[in-house]
Amino acid sequence: MTENKSDWIKAALREHEGPLMRYATQITGDVDRARDVVQDTFLRLCAEEPARLDGHLAQWLFTVCRNRALDIQRKEQRMKPLDDIELAAQPSRETSPAAQAEHNESAGRVQRFMKHLPPNQQEVVRLKFQNGLSYKEIAGVTKLSVTNVGFLIHTALKTLRQQMTETEGTL
Amino acid sequence: MKNNLPEFDEAKLTAYALNELDGAERGAVEKIIAENAAARQWVEEARQTARELETELQGEECPALTSEQTRALQQKIRAADKPSFWTRQWFPSLRLVEALAVVAIVAVLAAMLLPALAKAKNKSKRSVAVAEQRQKDLEKEYAKTEADQSASTGVAPGSDMPAVPLEMNPVATMPAPAPVMAPPPSGSPQLDGSLSYGVVTKSAAPGAVGVASISGGANGGQGAARSLQAITVYSSVNYQAGPSAVAAPADSFAVAGKLRDRDDKTFYYRFKQPAMTTGDFNTESYAAINDNPFLTALQNPLSTFSIDVDTASYANVRRFLTENQLPPPDAVRIEEMVNYFHYNYPQPKGDVPFSVNAEVAGCPWNPEHRLVRIGLKGREITRDQRPPSNLVFLIDVSGSMNEPNKLPLLKETLKLLTRQLSENDHVSIVVYAGAAGMVLPETSGSEKATILRALDRLQAGGSTHGSAGIRLAYETATENFIEGGVNRVILCTDGDFNVGMTSQGELTRLITDKAKSGVFLSVLGFGMGNYKDSTMEMLADKGNGNYAYIDTLNEGRKVLVEQMSGTLVTIAKDVKIQIEFNPAQVDSYRLIGYENRLLAKEDFNNDKKDAGEIGAGHTVTALYEVVPAGMTSDETPAVDPLKYQKPAKPRFITSGSDELLTLKLRYKQPDGDTSRLISTPIKDTDRSYARASTDFKFAAAVAEFGMLLRGSPYKGEASYRSAWEHAKANLGNDPEGYRAEFLTLVETAQRLAGK
Repeated sequence: MTENKSDWIKAALREHEGPLMRYATQITGDVDRARDVVQDTFLRLCAEEPARLDGHLAQWLFTVCRNRALDIQRKEQRMKPLDDIELAAQPSRETSPAAQAEHNESAGRVQRFMKHLPPNQQEVVRLKFQNGLSYKEIAGVTKLSVTNVGFLIHTALKTLRQQMTETEGTL
Repeated sequence: MKNNLPEFDEAKLTAYALNELDGAERGAVEKIIAENAAARQWVEEARQTARELETELQGEECPALTSEQTRALQQKIRAADKPSFWTRQWFPSLRLVEALAVVAIVAVLAAMLLPALAKAKNKSKRSVAVAEQRQKDLEKEYAKTEADQSASTGVAPGSDMPAVPLEMNPVATMPAPAPVMAPPPSGSPQLDGSLSYGVVTKSAAPGAVGVASISGGANGGQGAARSLQAITVYSSVNYQAGPSAVAAPADSFAVAGKLRDRDDKTFYYRFKQPAMTTGDFNTESYAAINDNPFLTALQNPLSTFSIDVDTASYANVRRFLTENQLPPPDAVRIEEMVNYFHYNYPQPKGDVPFSVNAEVAGCPWNPEHRLVRIGLKGREITRDQRPPSNLVFLIDVSGSMNEPNKLPLLKETLKLLTRQLSENDHVSIVVYAGAAGMVLPETSGSEKATILRALDRLQAGGSTHGSAGIRLAYETATENFIEGGVNRVILCTDGDFNVGMTSQGELTRLITDKAKSGVFLSVLGFGMGNYKDSTMEMLADKGNGNYAYIDTLNEGRKVLVEQMSGTLVTIAKDVKIQIEFNPAQVDSYRLIGYENRLLAKEDFNNDKKDAGEIGAGHTVTALYEVVPAGMTSDETPAVDPLKYQKPAKPRFITSGSDELLTLKLRYKQPDGDTSRLISTPIKDTDRSYARASTDFKFAAAVAEFGMLLRGSPYKGEASYRSAWEHAKANLGNDPEGYRAEFLTLVETAQRLAGK
């Protein structure tokens, strides 16, 4: 590989920043937190050898991003008291789940049905269809077996298919 | 899809449709497709769905890094080319002298580069720092209000504050929440992570100091989140901790100090204590549980209990663990943890509403013992087989529900259910606070918008007149009664009934009486802090009901969407199990869990005696640990010989039957009054643990985990590590990821227990 390491990282950033941001936002539920996660992921990439990641860069990025996001989530849970204070101080926040739900209603129909899937199925579906990872790559990112990933995607597709055909025409 | 291919093959078809197969597997699927039209159709449908998913999901907006972050990254990236220059490519080919020279150069370079690198790194971390700063500001602000308040009430922050809360607070070692505290007053010990400090500074009367600490500290088991909540509650009850509470501190600290040895009764006390001294205060209540002991088959051949399909305890335990707290032992009901998971028991055959299954194998935490698993599986019904329903949502909108994880979560959960309803279903909404009222009269399930709007409008405020609400809800349900349909009150509450009928005895009588109307009950528990687990379990138990704890929207989805039929449609009621152990095979046995479901042996044949319900598709699992006959058991303590009676000679043990036990079941049809009996003998085929089924092993791992959380004296060789390993190896298909989630809970518990 004659390419500079910096070019390599820049290319990775160009290609993956958006999808990783989207992915991290889904996990942490917050864009600011996702930004910190993704920035950190790329900082870590700077310390890696291009040759070592050749061929599985995407899997590496999604794995690091996921682990960082989950770390942050765990820490957030310990920090919860702060959120409680905020919420207690702003009763208006109470309506936010409703507003959120309304927002969901207006989203595309696939996304609306996606909401009803268990979170683990949502995640593999997104990795597969939103980010184009293979079963094997998804297994690497989520630490599930390839068979299980296949089962989850199959179950999700079946459920989605069923819901889509059921509601065709009605509402 | 309508074909008879096993699930495994279907998943392969999907993999094929998504181009995930190669070589032989691909060929095999192509063969199936060529022969099977349904398979062909599914591959086409899967591809079509995949295309739609791809189009829509890939079109979803991507947020970006901030420009500051990007700049910081760019800087770091430019620096990235340099390190590889001297690390990888050069070293291997160097001879010693050259190597030394290079080392020297590198040293010089490093001296020059490092500050610059460090600077770049600092800069790049800035946005992280910004986030941290936001956090700190909030903390400061909090500390400031805190200080202001203690100043304005004129109370010197308790300089003689006892160090006890620190001792009894399991959070003490948790670093994260520490900065939230106000700075400790000089001379007082540093209360590491204990937010009880905040509560203390806020108390008005010296006497209240102790009480407040009990509440914060005693609930310290609950962690920072709860203690802070205590503050809010505290101010809202106008410093109720008055002189009456003055006497409490010394004693309570003594009690609290004992919390560490996890004595069951002490724990019970811990949650009761603040309630007695301060009335409506930050309390959770759990009824004490003592683990079932080993009983000898000779003297106690019969074991009788009522089934329990509740899952509340597991969700509640999960709530504690996600907040980095070990749950109090009395919050852990092992049968509810085991029953949280789905097991693959076969569907019933014939006209019996459920199938009965048993499996006997080695016991993982006590290899010389046997473990007997008894599993029931209620008949599944499909969506379109679900009978018409008459549902009454009975919603607690009292002031205590005004928290993000109560009313708002409750609304979203009921909306999920509402979206599943059809024109065959009818919903009424009754709310109660200081008084009870009808918010939505009977409305068809097809008018979703009306129901959703009524839910959206609910607001919390006032006291809790639970009994009035229960009366109105049952009246409504009776008025709209559907013969042969589902008639059910769905009670959503934190269980804190503080106006009207508040004693458990009265509530029990009310609900027992209402249950006779043929209306069933579902209790959905929400929130924490003043969570009344014991009241809610009792209501569900006496009211022909089931009980679930909803800690997240995901749990709401599990209970009301995935298991909707099971939650709503009862297929058999008053289901009792009686087991007769054969003393020729069994020395002694122990029922794991079900402590508050035990029945007297006479109750089994008594149709007047209420017992548990089973819903469509529900699975119920019970585990017995059995000491085989001939094994000297030190599990059953010796009893002095009787003085006035000759010990009854062990009666003749019938033949040498090789049956381990006989399993007997009684159940009634949902609208019936007389029970039917099922009886089946079970043999032990000497199966080792290793050869047991996946579900057996997973259920055993959950029981093992439960025993550890309870600090059960019968845990044998159980450890978090082995529970984790046994569970990990037996995740099965796990379509919803519940079993995988179990693993993370075991990890958390292990970390918290410091083992």
